[in-house]
Amino acid sequence: MLGGCDQPPATDNGATAKIYRHAMDGIPGSFDPAQAATIYANFIVVNLYDTLYRYKYLARPYQLQPNLAEAMPEVSEDGLNVTIRIKKGVYFIDDPAFDGATGREVKANDFVYSIKRHFDPATRAQGTWLWQDRIEGLDLWKSEGSDYDKEVSGLRALDDYTIQIKLTRPFPQLLHTFTQGYAAIVPREAVEKYGQMLSSHPVGSGPFTLISRNDVRAVLAKNPGFRREPFDLAAEGFDPDSRLNSDFQKLQGRIPPFIDQLVFEFVPEGAARWNAFSAGELNFIKVPVSQFDNILSQHTPPTLNPQYADSYDFEASPEAGFIYTNFNMADERIGYRKDPEQNRRNHALRCAMVKAFDWKKNNEIFFYDIGLVFPGIIPPSVPEYDAQGDDSYIQHDLQGAKALLQANGWDKDTLPTLEYGFPNGVTERQTFEQFRNFMMTAGYPADKIRPLIFASYGDYQRAYSQGKVTLINSSWTMDYPDVENIMQLYYGPNAAPGSNSASYNNPEYNRLYEASAVMNESPERTRIYREMNQLLMNDCASITGISRTMLFLWDKKFIMKPDRSFLGGYFMRFIDTVESASTTP
Amino acid sequence: MNVPYLTRRLLYGIPLVLGVTFISFLLMVYFGPDKTYELIGKNPTAEQILEVRHELGYDRPFLLRYGDYLGELLTLDLGLSESNGEPVSSILKRTLPISIALVVPGFVLGNLLGLALGLLAAWYRGKWLDKLVMSASVVGMSVSFLVIIIGLQILLCTPYGLNLFPVRGWQVHDPGSYFYYVAVPTLALILVTLGYNTRFYRAVMADEIERPHIRTLKAYGARPVEILFKHVLKNSLIPVLTRIMFSVPFVLISGSLLLESYFGIPGVGLVTFNAITSGDQPILKAVVGLTGVLFVVALTINDMLYSTVDPRITKS
Repeated sequence: MLGGCDQPPATDNGATAKIYRHAMDGIPGSFDPAQAATIYANFIVVNLYDTLYRYKYLARPYQLQPNLAEAMPEVSEDGLNVTIRIKKGVYFIDDPAFDGATGREVKANDFVYSIKRHFDPATRAQGTWLWQDRIEGLDLWKSEGSDYDKEVSGLRALDDYTIQIKLTRPFPQLLHTFTQGYAAIVPREAVEKYGQMLSSHPVGSGPFTLISRNDVRAVLAKNPGFRREPFDLAAEGFDPDSRLNSDFQKLQGRIPPFIDQLVFEFVPEGAARWNAFSAGELNFIKVPVSQFDNILSQHTPPTLNPQYADSYDFEASPEAGFIYTNFNMADERIGYRKDPEQNRRNHALRCAMVKAFDWKKNNEIFFYDIGLVFPGIIPPSVPEYDAQGDDSYIQHDLQGAKALLQANGWDKDTLPTLEYGFPNGVTERQTFEQFRNFMMTAGYPADKIRPLIFASYGDYQRAYSQGKVTLINSSWTMDYPDVENIMQLYYGPNAAPGSNSASYNNPEYNRLYEASAVMNESPERTRIYREMNQLLMNDCASITGISRTMLFLWDKKFIMKPDRSFLGGYFMRFIDTVESASTTP
Repeated sequence: MNVPYLTRRLLYGIPLVLGVTFISFLLMVYFGPDKTYELIGKNPTAEQILEVRHELGYDRPFLLRYGDYLGELLTLDLGLSESNGEPVSSILKRTLPISIALVVPGFVLGNLLGLALGLLAAWYRGKWLDKLVMSASVVGMSVSFLVIIIGLQILLCTPYGLNLFPVRGWQVHDPGSYFYYVAVPTLALILVTLGYNTRFYRAVMADEIERPHIRTLKAYGARPVEILFKHVLKNSLIPVLTRIMFSVPFVLISGSLLLESYFGIPGVGLVTFNAITSGDQPILKAVVGLTGVLFVVALTINDMLYSTVDPRITKS
């Protein structure tokens, strides 16, 4: 009656179960793969369900690896036909949704069904954008009523174990989309039985199954029927010369998942997270910023205070994404103008604001001086980043800003009143105050940069998607490790309500994006991306950017390499205790 | 029990429930968080935005939606959470007992201690003991609940302090484990409410102590304990009951958001807070409706109790 429900179990042989407690700094919503839109939901979904591909556990930069797929796909020469074979003998967990309540084999048709769900409005799916207009016949299938018994010409199961995909144009990021929780495979029987309740009643074929969930934790247990694939260090990208713990070698040849129970604790409050971790109630945390001083002995590079080094392992990880402030280019006060002269003046105003922004102070105050400031939109975490490139775009140049304003006839009377939007919150308010202060030092009157505060992020998103915010402070976390996912942020046709919240529309940028979007990673594509980055900076369309550095701490008794990126949850099947790894043959 | 009176009181409560639900539904629909933009993916088209709004029922006329809401309340078919697809009734069934178990000890002890200290301070009005109690109350009221929670966690739950209790969790199976998990939250709740309670009860008692019949009792030489408990407390029960009864719906439904989030306790307060921030309307509608109904019940019980503690008040 009082809610106790997740006591640590014993294993079949009577030994104490190995439990790993992972703190999340947010709360996942739905566990339905079609709705796994947050990093938190994705973390859990990829542990409950199977995806065709995943990333090698230890390789950086990320490298794709077959998961439920038998091998890498066969791709036609024109890049339009993709054939993927899946493993045989993989089963869904037992569930009343199946005949006899016994899990059946995962078939190619299940994948086809799972992707189709995204194009059925009743699913309330959030991953549609990944495949929209990319897979032949899928959009048509939706417009004809989303009838699951109707075939989609570009998405078919040729037999029980072969999937055929026909693309409308080459899509080099296709396999990346198949690593995501969105592409996890659900059985039709479960969707039909549980409907919307599938969100809290997952039926997958992943390494774990859900035991319980509520608003503070989710408890997963090892799926005893998970396919037996020995851990292979080389295949997972292990580099013996890296700083990774040599204990990893003890995992070689053993069958994951290694732990018996995986407990996700949802602790958004930093103080509570730190207290629980200090008390040994959590095995892993993303360290709250308020504790950075406490745990670091130096900032550059971030180094763990020796008093913690005996008990904890540590990693400083730059986020796969960045923070920026977009100008709403559709707003005539600051953006595009038909009159060339006014357009030129607005351009000068934006560039002056870019120069007035002090990234060093921003980094010091909000990111503990360990954020990575970089010019433009290609962050240091991707291979396309140009470490030797011109960084004048992020240099604080107050005199330059003032001169630019003066030369273009902007003064305190003529400067437009702008609205800086943000969802309600202390940090958000402080960020606004700092932004306004930077602009004031360049001569912008305080009352002409006004806060526009929203009750929730959803409300804020609605407002800027409708073009009602002039200065849009936001962040982007990459969905997959391909910088195309960032470049599309400023592609004209993706303008608001799309992801191009700046409504930036430069024909040359658009042309380059269209040319590069069908290219595989190559020096030529890198050159194009850098050129696009420069175009964006030349147009001063955004004040950008900084990548946050996240600090992770975890209990030394666990062998693990945590990953917080959008694709990160896969590592959990490979976590083991040092003690167990040392004694288990 | 006066059944006609009870029926009449409950019938009077219907307009109240309708008013509360109507106003809160109006606020929810027009000023509450919009779930649309959380549910649409990236790069949505205008058509996709409309699709999501349709799926959420946002495009239906307000009065129809309100009518459906009342129907849901009447049939207790509260729908599914828009965040995790779980039936709202099962969420409430799961979380309400936890919130009650969490908050009741602190609520009861906080009120009992407040009454005792209020009586004491009123009896010694103007003396050093009164000043001490009142000063401590002001200090208690001035310290943020958050500071109390984090302070107690560090002091009682971590290796930096005594490390006697858990920081987070609620795995209650027997009285021992109940005490283990509820002790620190209860202490926090008592600390944060005691100042308010003491000041309120002291004011009520001091007022009563000034009355002529108490002076007469003192003149007769009645013992202080007899005066305080038999006469002062008894005659002050109307405001005391009102305060307690009006708190009950909040205690039962809202739980204590901060306690639940900082101590990792899956109660209804946390569910409600998450529903507010995420715009999960089925949960919000259920909680608001239930709070309204509980208020009517609490008011009715309150009225019944009035005539019990003060026979001069009639049910007519």
